[in-house]
Amino acid sequence: MAAPDEDADLVRSAIGGDDEAFSELVRRHKGTVLRSASRFARNPEELEDLGQETFLRAYRDLRSFRGEAPFGHWLSRITVRVCYDALRKRRREEKDVSLEVLATPVADPSTGNGPSAQLARMILDQAMSRLKPEDRLVITLFELEDRSVREVAELTGWSETRVKVRVFRARQALKRHIGGDDER
Amino acid sequence: MNDKRHDRRDAELDRYFALARQAPPDISGVERNFETRVMARIREGREPWYAWAWRLAPIFLALTILLAGWSLSYSPLHPADPVTMLASGTQEVALLDQLTGE
Repeated sequence: MAAPDEDADLVRSAIGGDDEAFSELVRRHKGTVLRSASRFARNPEELEDLGQETFLRAYRDLRSFRGEAPFGHWLSRITVRVCYDALRKRRREEKDVSLEVLATPVADPSTGNGPSAQLARMILDQAMSRLKPEDRLVITLFELEDRSVREVAELTGWSETRVKVRVFRARQALKRHIGGDDER
Repeated sequence: MNDKRHDRRDAELDRYFALARQAPPDISGVERNFETRVMARIREGREPWYAWAWRLAPIFLALTILLAGWSLSYSPLHPADPVTMLASGTQEVALLDQLTGE
């Protein structure tokens, strides 16, 4: 984990034109950024794009980092914004995704092994691709990244109420997609 | 009855999430030398306008060679041909040559 004070020093050096300082910031935070973005990327190429876009925006807006919160938090907000923009952009492309695979049952976590975890992720990915970008963003941060409502609200800039509503709606939709429509 | 079904579906969805959390996507391939690629993009964005001119130099060179080749191969005027000379208005030159005795 990167030390916040050291990060602040590196930010100051990077603003002053020290490329090596910014490179060090990328080295320190790339794991966190890429792990977070990987929940939204469909393939390694898209993950690369999301990661690069995050750090390019961070570099461009470096002067707006005031050091009130750790650099990692500031960067997480940029990551979320970049991923949200990507979700909105591809919304139209994924509307017609096939749901045939969604009926596949997964193993219980207590007995679950590697393949069923992979399968669960694949099924969730497909089901989540049918959600609205806002709902997908919130449910990913809340359920897959295990963040609290407050953290999600801070990262997205939305109110906690809005986050809760989005989580509820996303869960309802996912239950319908994964379990079929017999509820209606 | 309906509540039970709701509970079952919630539990099933939670099971999916729990399993998906266990299998985080593999980022090792993208993580390798990532900072090098980011810094290359940053430097690329900082290039002055004349750097682009240098990049376009081969295209300009190819265009120049093409134009030169075309202008050499396309020569409608053949001074040896009297009909062409007369038609192209060079008869004044020919007359002048005669008058001056050249």
